[in-house]
Amino acid sequence: MATYKAPLRDMRFVLYELHNGAALAQLPGLEDMTPELIDPVIEEAAKVCEEVLLPLNRSGDEEGCRLENGVVRTPKGFIEAYRLFREGGWTGIACDPAFGGQGVSHSANALVEEMICSSNLSFGLYPGLTHGAYKALYTHGSAALKERYLPKLVDGIWSGTMCLTEPQCGTDLGLSRTKAVPQDDGSYRLTGTKIFISAGEHDLTENIIHLVLARLPDAPKGIKGISLFLVPKFLVNEDGSIGARNGVSCGAIEHKMGIKASATCVINFDDATGWLVGEPHKGMRAMFTMMNEERLAVGLQGLGLAEASYQGAVAYARERLQGRSLSGTKYPEKSADPIIVHPDIRRMLLTMRSTAEGCRALGGWVAQAVDVQNHTSDPKAKRDAEDFIALMTPIVKALFTDLGFEATNLGIQVMGGHGYIREHGMEQYIRDARIAQIYEGTNGIQALDLVGRKLGAHMGRYLRQFFHPVAAFITTHADDKALERYVDPLTKAFVRLQQATGQLARVGLSRPEEAGAAASEYLRLFGLVALAYQWARMAEVSLTKLEEKTGEDDFYRAKLSTASYFMDKVLPQTGSLFASIMAGGATLTEFPEAAF
Amino acid sequence: MADIAKVAVIGAGVMGAGIAAHVANAGVPVLLLDIVPPGATDRNAIAAGAIDKMLKVEPAPFMSKTAARLITPGNTEDDLEKLAECDWIIEAVVERLDIKQALYRRIQAARKPSSVVSSNTSTIPLAALVEGMGDGFARDFCITHFFNPPRYMRLLEVVAGPQTRPEAIAAVSRFADFSLGKSVITCKDRPGFIANRLGVYWLQVAVVEAIDAGLAVEEADAILGKPIGVPKTGVFGLLDLVGLDLMPHINASMSQALPSEDPFHAANRELPLIAQMIEQGYTGRKGKGGFYRLNRDGGGKVKEAISLTTGEYRPERKAELELPKKFKDLLSSDSKAGRYAWRVMARTLSYAAMLVPEVVDDIASVDEAMRLGYAWKFGPFELIDQLGAEWFTARLEQDGLPVPELLRVAHGQSFYRVQDGCRQMLGPDGNYRDVVRPEGVLWLEDIKRTRASLLKNGSAALWDIGDGVACFEFTSKLNTIDQDIMTLLGKALKLVEREYKALVIYNEGTNFSAGANLGLALFALNIAAWPILEQTVAGGQVTYKAVKYAPFPVVGAPSGMALGGGCEILLHCAAVQAHAESYIGLVECGVGLVPAWGGCKEMLQRWKTLGRLPNGPMPAVVKVFETISTATVAKSAAEAKELLFLRPSDGITMNRYRLLADAKARALELARDYAPPQEGEWILPGEGAAIGMRMAAESFHRRGLATPHDLVVSTALAEVLAGGDADVTRPLREDDVLELERSRFMALLHSPDTVARIEHVLETGKPLRN
Repeated sequence: MATYKAPLRDMRFVLYELHNGAALAQLPGLEDMTPELIDPVIEEAAKVCEEVLLPLNRSGDEEGCRLENGVVRTPKGFIEAYRLFREGGWTGIACDPAFGGQGVSHSANALVEEMICSSNLSFGLYPGLTHGAYKALYTHGSAALKERYLPKLVDGIWSGTMCLTEPQCGTDLGLSRTKAVPQDDGSYRLTGTKIFISAGEHDLTENIIHLVLARLPDAPKGIKGISLFLVPKFLVNEDGSIGARNGVSCGAIEHKMGIKASATCVINFDDATGWLVGEPHKGMRAMFTMMNEERLAVGLQGLGLAEASYQGAVAYARERLQGRSLSGTKYPEKSADPIIVHPDIRRMLLTMRSTAEGCRALGGWVAQAVDVQNHTSDPKAKRDAEDFIALMTPIVKALFTDLGFEATNLGIQVMGGHGYIREHGMEQYIRDARIAQIYEGTNGIQALDLVGRKLGAHMGRYLRQFFHPVAAFITTHADDKALERYVDPLTKAFVRLQQATGQLARVGLSRPEEAGAAASEYLRLFGLVALAYQWARMAEVSLTKLEEKTGEDDFYRAKLSTASYFMDKVLPQTGSLFASIMAGGATLTEFPEAAF
Repeated sequence: MADIAKVAVIGAGVMGAGIAAHVANAGVPVLLLDIVPPGATDRNAIAAGAIDKMLKVEPAPFMSKTAARLITPGNTEDDLEKLAECDWIIEAVVERLDIKQALYRRIQAARKPSSVVSSNTSTIPLAALVEGMGDGFARDFCITHFFNPPRYMRLLEVVAGPQTRPEAIAAVSRFADFSLGKSVITCKDRPGFIANRLGVYWLQVAVVEAIDAGLAVEEADAILGKPIGVPKTGVFGLLDLVGLDLMPHINASMSQALPSEDPFHAANRELPLIAQMIEQGYTGRKGKGGFYRLNRDGGGKVKEAISLTTGEYRPERKAELELPKKFKDLLSSDSKAGRYAWRVMARTLSYAAMLVPEVVDDIASVDEAMRLGYAWKFGPFELIDQLGAEWFTARLEQDGLPVPELLRVAHGQSFYRVQDGCRQMLGPDGNYRDVVRPEGVLWLEDIKRTRASLLKNGSAALWDIGDGVACFEFTSKLNTIDQDIMTLLGKALKLVEREYKALVIYNEGTNFSAGANLGLALFALNIAAWPILEQTVAGGQVTYKAVKYAPFPVVGAPSGMALGGGCEILLHCAAVQAHAESYIGLVECGVGLVPAWGGCKEMLQRWKTLGRLPNGPMPAVVKVFETISTATVAKSAAEAKELLFLRPSDGITMNRYRLLADAKARALELARDYAPPQEGEWILPGEGAAIGMRMAAESFHRRGLATPHDLVVSTALAEVLAGGDADVTRPLREDDVLELERSRFMALLHSPDTVARIEHVLETGKPLRN
């Protein structure tokens, strides 16, 4: 049974207690980001998510989107929900006040995004894509383009897309064929076909602003010849009003496994008028600004769905009466004990719970770095934050979505046949979660990004932002008896990660295929150690809070218990990952192709 | 035949003075004469002035300032009778036949009969020089063509005339080889000999083709640089270095001397741009700039390059070219770069093939001349082998270019091959013959072709070099020292102890070792692998100590840079046989660290026992502090002796090719009755001395001569050198000093400022002054 209440207590714990989010208010531009402002924002967001978006989740999934005469119809209720969402100012909460946004910190916005993903992922993609387009335009667009488009995108009356994929090119964008021909008036004419375009066409906004990768006539071959263009669905008049229809049309929408209420479109550009964003041939750089932010956002989708599935599974496990506890009847007054008494059900629930809370904590750490990167005036702090984000982005994206998928799968298992049928909404989570492992760069690509680009960059400089704090934490708490239970397993796993990292750096330099063979396992190893560090830190904070007698002992004791569960039952996976990484990749690379 | 014990150089211009300095570097007294300048009070002013100037310029013509004392300045009016004392008289005066011959007559009258006279001419044929000079002169005369700067350029082209006594050539060649360290190439009396004949042609073709193709100079230099194995100055950068104004002179003399069918004439075209540049004073680096210049207009410094099409300067820009890494791929590529490279190199390599046997009988001499005279990584025939002679011939035919006779003879076979472990070259008769090294030369590369290594891993190898001696070779990138080297060195010491008499540590890289592999260290540091880092330091200390106390002699044989950990291994050797061009130093402070593989420890002991300093523990400590805290690098083996990076008893080999043989001989000599050193003790002054050195560093800091982090590093160094909390009544053991080195090294590794220095030097190649 799909049920969802935003985990506000845990979110506050992560934001304020674990990561000292109140300190962000010391950064220039974030002066207002005190708990007094943030708390009402996340409480209000919870209300919108629980009351407006959640009720449309299953109906949207059942109904899906329809393409009628070139027009995409979103499921019943989406238009009204979007209107409420927009009028509530949610489309622009993380945007620059200079363009009408509310300038809420990334850390707080990440919590709001998680709630949206938990309650209605398909819906969330529409404003989510708009924010990606906002970000690319905000960072790379000319003043004129920004002036004209950003306020409407921030307001949400227009929406945005990212048009990268073409039939012959997905991961390898160097194969793009869409052409852009310069015109005398400084605009360009674009022709080509893009596929898999989320929110490419729909009925929620009066205009759609596409950001499109295309090639100029003189472009060099491959990835260095790609430029970024802004192409609106409707041309915009001098006064900002909607003008003539541009040569952009939706050729088809995809029929997919999940996120059915999100329109995934084939978009045709036929001599469509567009404008260059950033410099010629530097489109990938502009696109990556958007992409990196999107990858962090996709990670939150895995987290949001894990949380939603966990809540549904717990509710069911408390109510569903089957059999008796192995240690003797617990509820004699009932016809059977609720299944929550069974260790194996608890295994699944605690795995889901430690995933959701652990990822929330880790995501909070990275989100805080995004705020520092965006706002600090100290160049050293900025570079450190950039290094950390560069390192953690593939981990957040792939780890959160892989674990999110695994959690939603467990959610079904807890409910047995009732999880498998559509009525209870649990199987929708797994279908919705599945895409997050694929889009914005498959998780395999994330792993290659981690070992290929992030590990060796500047002789491992990015790594310092993770390894040094963890090493320092371990050293600081080496003799801390109360924390031993958490720090010892962390230390063991951390040393494995150090060794595996050293090994990959050594062999990866001379034999890149070895690094490629280990990449996915290495990312998971890294991710588990990162979660373990967060769990050890959460245990540290919880122990302090228990000493302070804040009156929330149950909350902090549950944290400690979940931390213990993670250390005992999840973290040992690092041992097998380590063994597999150290075994090398010969079995993968040497297997004869013909034998497949 | 008597050895050459005294030399005279006549003509104190850049070349003459440089040759004299280099003779002095060899420890041989030399007379340097020039004319008496009109109205001079000091009649030796020109020669004396040249010596003074050479004491100031970089790169230094002298290996040690003391060498300057071996040069006696004089003049050609008062001092000619002193030529009677000289065994070799080198003429390096202006390139005019009448002046040279007039001088020869006076030399002939003054010199002793057994002496040899040679000219450093690069343009006048020997036949012309000896014409009418009489048989007695002609018998003792030859051309010895040095390259600029004489200390550093290892090529010497020698031309004998039909009458020249073989013993005269032998004496000069032997001296040039052993004492001056030159690779002597004997060539025929043809214009430009080998290196300039080919090099000038190459430059001319490259310039003309670049102009015709409308290339930017940066593009041309990038194309004719790294992918071909040519220094990154390429063509235009090289011309700036040599001087543009020389080009018309050299071209005119070549043009006049070469037969009309020579391909040079086709390439030798009037170039209005260059004429205009010379006229405006853009003669290269010695002038206002050349193809590249530094524009200081408006107080700034803007690197600019000239456009070959417009003749205007514009900001320098990096060539944006996709250059294949392999030579053959570059020449096959149908791109702007590929077409240009082909047009230049096809002609150049064909021209090289024409020079055998016209100028010299063997291809190896041509290759050696281009490697040493123009710093090409590969000689022209080695380049043809990279293409495949068959491919190259076919491509020439396809393009309608003439195919030289030698390529026809090769008939698609490679110019070099290895037969039974011996390198062979193709002769003009179509037969292969062995490439023979000069007598007594031992070359590891040759040995490696004949046998398998005794031990080997990714960073080092151990070889049997005969007579019971093993050779330990670094093979890592830049010969940096890493864990693999330490591991293999440990194994090598055990193996040599069991089965050999002595060990030589030697390699044939450009540099002996750039020191510890900082990249690996930084990576380990970034992942907080502190125990691994500490283990690396401690393990290195154990291994180097094992080198020192090995029961057999270990002889270090460096050439080029031996820095940091590369210097420290030498400090632990029983003896060092160094190439004269060895640049040794402990540079750890530059990257915010202190030497920790025993460098501090050994330097303290050396200055204490060999330093000829006042009594007491302090003077040695201060001396070592000065040397290490400033990251001083000796600019020659001779200077390394002055700094005690080498002991007075260590040997110096002038000729790079003879280094291994000399080191092996030294090792065998020591092995005859070898006893390892006794473990000594270190009497160090303790904390008070450290405070004193810190105060000295602080005063440097106050005067702006030391940065804040210099102060931190100096303080750590001072603590090590002063012996921590030691005092003179409590001598330290060797391991105590090593422990001090290690603890301060690890502490500095934790400093963000040290990390910033390491990162900066790895990313930019330049030190960070933070």
